[in-house]
Amino acid sequence: MLRKLRLSGILLILGLIVEALSLCWNNAFSFMSFVVIGGLLFASGILLFLYSLVSSKTSSLNN
Amino acid sequence: MIGPQTLVFLLIGASILLIVVVVIRPSITASREGKIVAFLALFVVPVVVAGLGASEHMERSEQTQFCLSCHIMEPYGRSLYVDDPAYIPAAHFQNHRIPADKACYTCHTDYAMFGTIHAKLEGLHHVYVYWFGTPMNPIRLYQPYNNRECLHCHSGARSFEESPTHTAMMGELKSNKVSCATSGCHDTFHNVDQLGHVKFWKPTE
Repeated sequence: MLRKLRLSGILLILGLIVEALSLCWNNAFSFMSFVVIGGLLFASGILLFLYSLVSSKTSSLNN
Repeated sequence: MIGPQTLVFLLIGASILLIVVVVIRPSITASREGKIVAFLALFVVPVVVAGLGASEHMERSEQTQFCLSCHIMEPYGRSLYVDDPAYIPAAHFQNHRIPADKACYTCHTDYAMFGTIHAKLEGLHHVYVYWFGTPMNPIRLYQPYNNRECLHCHSGARSFEESPTHTAMMGELKSNKVSCATSGCHDTFHNVDQLGHVKFWKPTE
């Protein structure tokens, strides 16, 4: 679970960095970077965090 | 006063710091308080910050500078500086009849229910086609220009209402039976294929 939390955090930090960089410019490229790259990193980070919650619950129930 | 962009940057910084705490010491999640911190750091705060970022990007996408950042729009941007009052977009832009920093959006959004959402969705589609598809060349409107967009500002304006030509056909104009744009009265728009033969206005710095 801890490994998943770490990875989720790293993905979210990368997503936030992409968001910060994309806000430095006002053009279609920065918008697309935010939507595609940032969106992907945010989504995977959050989903991984949620998955870590669910999987830890499942493993503690099994134990 | 902190602007919205500064606020987003501050929140991004705070969010990163919070996440770093969890990444460096994930063992804090063993306690109840640690679980709450992790939930805030890895879910609530990133969702809020991403939402604010998306909102800021949406706000910026209304700006003329944003529309003109696509190469294909460059001649349309130049057409705003044509030194000829017959060019409707140029006359509106140069005389600040529309906000110069939101020129494209002001005229090319539907002033109807969900018009803003519709315009944003179309804008997203345009950006997608520009990057991943083949944009139509020359660019055309999806449908004929609706008088509603002109009347949004002109309706009720003295110079418009008192014009005998407008008064005579007000009903047709409001019901969109006679087009402001294509009935021969105000029919010079961007005309980008003519830009090689026109004079340009240079704004004073």
